[in-house]
Amino acid sequence: MKNCNSKVQIDDYLFNRLDEDKKEEFEKHYFNCPSCFNKMAERNELIAVVKSKGQTIFKDEYIAEAAKGETWLEKITSFLTPRQWALSTVSAALLLVAIFYVIPNLKTTTPQFYINEDAFTVRTANNKITLISPIIDRKTVQSKFEWVKLERENIEYIVYIYNNGDTLWSKTTKENFIVLPEHVKLLMTAGEKYSWQVKAFSPEGTIISLSGKVRFKIQKSE
Amino acid sequence: MRKNKIEINLEEIHTKYRPIVSFRVRKSLGSFTPDWEDVVNEIIINVIEKIKKGEFRGESSIGTFIFTITSRRIIDHIRQKSKVLKHAPEPVAYPDPHLQVENKERAELMAEAIRKLKPKYREVLYLYYYKELSREEVAQKLGITSRRVSERVNYSQKLLKKLITK
Repeated sequence: MKNCNSKVQIDDYLFNRLDEDKKEEFEKHYFNCPSCFNKMAERNELIAVVKSKGQTIFKDEYIAEAAKGETWLEKITSFLTPRQWALSTVSAALLLVAIFYVIPNLKTTTPQFYINEDAFTVRTANNKITLISPIIDRKTVQSKFEWVKLERENIEYIVYIYNNGDTLWSKTTKENFIVLPEHVKLLMTAGEKYSWQVKAFSPEGTIISLSGKVRFKIQKSE
Repeated sequence: MRKNKIEINLEEIHTKYRPIVSFRVRKSLGSFTPDWEDVVNEIIINVIEKIKKGEFRGESSIGTFIFTITSRRIIDHIRQKSKVLKHAPEPVAYPDPHLQVENKERAELMAEAIRKLKPKYREVLYLYYYKELSREEVAQKLGITSRRVSERVNYSQKLLKKLITK
């Protein structure tokens, strides 16, 4: 099977992007297709090298990315003298501090909580995390837990899965989804009550938003 | 009644399937798990024993037979570990840093070969594998089609293989 059609799934499999059924199908496939397995092993090695040595290998690419920004910056900075830039930067910084730190802290804002009809959200200070899936009971343990990404950049999300109030598992990610590892899925049994929640943190480590806890169960088979 | 005997080359189980089983086990358990090799050995032994007992009847391919045994053993292992630890350690997210860069010399060769690639291949590897952008995002950033991104990724790999085996 030299030109196997399953080769397109290799990268998604290696990066855990396939859903459970497709993942299992692909795993069964590479046990039977030496061509796919060999290509996957090579790809795996390449990715491992890229990931472990990327900072030194891709120095030029880092510099190129930064250089694109400098060119734009150079155009902007030619409008004012350095002294004028310094004064306006200080003024802008003071204004930003006043707007985003001093004024909000002058009055205590009570977080507003509400449950939306189609999704489960908690609104705090104009940010909200909307959970997409799972939000209903399922027949099998779902692999992918997904939520709507906040518009802010560089946010870290922590996903919590609870079983009767105890934390069963948690994971930190910058994506807006996680794929449940096999060993966690095996811990989840039919009939048991679970819930999950997502919290968002700024790069400085302060919590900026959280979702409500959405309950779900794995249905017992009849 | 004539018995149909399924002839399996047991040597092939070791040479052909051991690397596949190892890959699957390490991906599920993580290379940092100290007993991954034991799990692989148990699976191979189990497969050979079942074949000798005649439990492989040819209803599926030998690859599928070994896949099934491998999957079950991985699940059993995880369940056993979960009983000991309240919260079983999560396998390290891909890529596993302890992992497949075992052959350091080969890794250095590959890193050097990547540096030698033309910029258009290097930038695809940088965006697609290092920054983990999707094909579509890479295509948008570079102003090319997703198909072209895939072609460059595949071609990079061929070039690297040539450079390393020189």
